[in-house]
Amino acid sequence: MKEIVASAGLCGLLLAGAPHPAQGADWKMDPAGSRLEFIATFEKTPAPGVFKEFDARLRFDPEKPAGGSLDVTVRVTSADMNIADVNKEIRGKDWFDYAAFPQAEFRSTDLRRAQGNRYVARGTLSLKGVKQPVEVPFTWTASADGATMEGELTVKRGAFGIGAGEWAATDVIGADVQVKFKVKLRKAG
Amino acid sequence: MHDPAASRYYVGMLRNTADSWGAPAKFFHWVMAALILAQIALGLTAASWRLSPTKLELFFWHKSTGMLILLLVALRLLWRLANPAPALPSGMPAWERAAARASHLLLYALMIALPIAGWIVNSASNVPFRIFWLIPLPAVVAPDKSTADLAALVHGGLAALLALVLVAHIGAALRHHFVKRNTVLTRMLPSAGRAP
Repeated sequence: MKEIVASAGLCGLLLAGAPHPAQGADWKMDPAGSRLEFIATFEKTPAPGVFKEFDARLRFDPEKPAGGSLDVTVRVTSADMNIADVNKEIRGKDWFDYAAFPQAEFRSTDLRRAQGNRYVARGTLSLKGVKQPVEVPFTWTASADGATMEGELTVKRGAFGIGAGEWAATDVIGADVQVKFKVKLRKAG
Repeated sequence: MHDPAASRYYVGMLRNTADSWGAPAKFFHWVMAALILAQIALGLTAASWRLSPTKLELFFWHKSTGMLILLLVALRLLWRLANPAPALPSGMPAWERAAARASHLLLYALMIALPIAGWIVNSASNVPFRIFWLIPLPAVVAPDKSTADLAALVHGGLAALLALVLVAHIGAALRHHFVKRNTVLTRMLPSAGRAP
């Protein structure tokens, strides 16, 4: 009985999706060619890190970005800042709080063309239990085997409580964190 | 305006003589003395402080000061090589001369080795760092935990040795002044006049 209800629900979802006009192709990320970096500052000197595990799903037509969507999931616990002591420290409650918030997400259903191959995805970033509106600018480069999205944005760490307590002061660890991404995509299906 | 004889006279005033130190030598001695004492205090405080922005700030100043000391000691060595030191008091026993020479050599060696060991710690632990926020410090070794630990141990050991040699250095200077009553201490004082 449960299965029938579930199937009916699924059919309903599929049907609900069906009447929408074409929203562009579905794209899946190729992790091998993709990179998500975050660059904090330490005494005004860049302190780079990466999230080794993340995934992006995109519904996108570069000619008609409206109606598309972008979903990015980041495994926060895969953060690596290349310094053993720092990697240990950022797990804690004052920083990323791995135990409580192992994952971050960015969801956008508002994709627009800025100019030429430059686009903007307006959406919500959920990080460490905080949701904030964020604009993610990116360039789109189509290639024979797929496409590449590349961009960077600046995030205020304080808005997400990254660096709590005495670490909220921004003279030693700066307020701004630059996020850079390069996402290699292939058409799904 | 330019008077070569006067220029030679003023440059000559800067140089050490057989019994007096020139202004650059005194400048190096006292500025570095102040920096080294501050550096020891900063290093001890930074190392023992709990992890906090204050600790990072202390290390930032410790590292910046260390690199400044390394630059100064390089200039100081050049100056010293171009300027023989004033003679030691006559009648000083051979062992004292040997001890003075050895301790001064050791001080120079430590003023060079300590910043370099610290530099290795910083490189091996892969901490991004700009000297006084300005000059990025290039890495001298690849990031590696065991290298960082070893270099930190050497750095600490050398610092302890430096503290010992400084005690001997200051003790000897005071002995020259108060016990042997010679000019070894006073001729290094900034106010010490020079015979024309």
